[in-house]
Amino acid sequence: MTLSPAERTRYQRHLVLEEIGLAGQEKLKAARVLVIGAGGLGSPAALYLAASGIGTLGIVDDDRVELSNLQRQVLFDTGHISRLKTQAARERLESLNPQISVVAHAVELRAANACALLGGYDLIVDGTDRLSTRYLINDACVILAKPLVAAAIHRFEGQAMSYVPGRGPCYRCLFPEAPDAVVPNCAQAGVLGVLPGVLGAIQATEAIKLILGVGEPLVGRFLTYDALEMRFHEFPFERRRDCAVCGDRPTITAPRDSQEPRSAAALDGVRRLTATGLRTLLDQHPRTHPLVLVDVREPREFVTGHLEGAINIPVAMLQQRLEEIAPQASPVFICRSGSRSLAACAIALRAGIAAPAHLEGGLLAWASEVDPTLAVAGAG
Amino acid sequence: MVRIASPLRSYTSGASSVTVDGATLHEILANLDRRFPGIRFRMVDEQDCIRPHMRVFVNTSEAKRLSEPVRAGDTVHVICALSGG
Repeated sequence: MTLSPAERTRYQRHLVLEEIGLAGQEKLKAARVLVIGAGGLGSPAALYLAASGIGTLGIVDDDRVELSNLQRQVLFDTGHISRLKTQAARERLESLNPQISVVAHAVELRAANACALLGGYDLIVDGTDRLSTRYLINDACVILAKPLVAAAIHRFEGQAMSYVPGRGPCYRCLFPEAPDAVVPNCAQAGVLGVLPGVLGAIQATEAIKLILGVGEPLVGRFLTYDALEMRFHEFPFERRRDCAVCGDRPTITAPRDSQEPRSAAALDGVRRLTATGLRTLLDQHPRTHPLVLVDVREPREFVTGHLEGAINIPVAMLQQRLEEIAPQASPVFICRSGSRSLAACAIALRAGIAAPAHLEGGLLAWASEVDPTLAVAGAG
Repeated sequence: MVRIASPLRSYTSGASSVTVDGATLHEILANLDRRFPGIRFRMVDEQDCIRPHMRVFVNTSEAKRLSEPVRAGDTVHVICALSGG
């Protein structure tokens, strides 16, 4: 693919770099890159990829622009509010660089469309904000043998890695499974607006390097960035022979949708009781009340000390032993500090138990606020 | 010193790193949990296995077992799969 005179002028600063030059710029022009997620990460990544002259840039997102996006999603401006992100992104990117082609995919990435979508591109940039989609993208890239540049952010911290088929480990080699616990997203946890700017720019850098075949990609190296401390760290990791998707005997051989880990929003149905709140509730209700205290700690912790009348079902056994909680009962899940009990509430919610409660701060809070004579076993 | 992954900093009052004594990872995490109750269970399951969405590195070497030694001056890094984008 040869460059026009206007392109030679536009990319002049690239052309003088011996690592890019005319041949490299022509590679960028011939490249097809898919950015999944036009959010905090996808915005800067897409802007720099477009400016750099990636010939075909696909954008996947089914959301519309909201006012609260504009603190970090620099692809959009106030006039774009309520518009489809893919449409607004295409206009912005084609205005930035009319020499490239931008393809809008206003769909949600699912297992059913993953191969068709990713299959039309040479390299994938993961800017999604959901862990389940992150795993879906990783699996699809391994199965389709597509290079992937992944990143993620939380509050003031970011992380990035690249996967190149046959050259190193995939995302699942580092984190084999998504957490089965509360995962706050940016809306719930908050995020520094400029943080995805740093990580998205790193993703664009990696994508360009991989297309050009220059430098050292983030393959087998997990990069973390702490904006508050202004510190980067790098952790080496290797391909796992038992990786479910890129291992010697893969069990994931086609993209699949996985259940989204419970977000904090999914736990809205949970009643959160303080220690004094639970004390009041217990005082108000006689023993005949269907309130059932379920202590979800390990048996050795339970025997050290527990609330009167509590039954013991360790959280790991809860799914199998839910029938021990009477159908009409209102369970209050209790543990040492309030973490396992929240996980128990999520299991109960999934099983259809309405309004499960948990003791915030756990028995440590109970011992501190209600009954200092209660012996609470250490968790270690 | 233990560097805490961002999603676990709610346990450490926002501190990104804390100093904890211990000659093994097991001791470090037990002492960490004494100071910040509940944090260990977010990293380690009931079978004492590091959870599959978390990784622990001692300096730049991945620690696969809690029995791994930690020397004075080492930095333990707790990293975790982030979802935000």
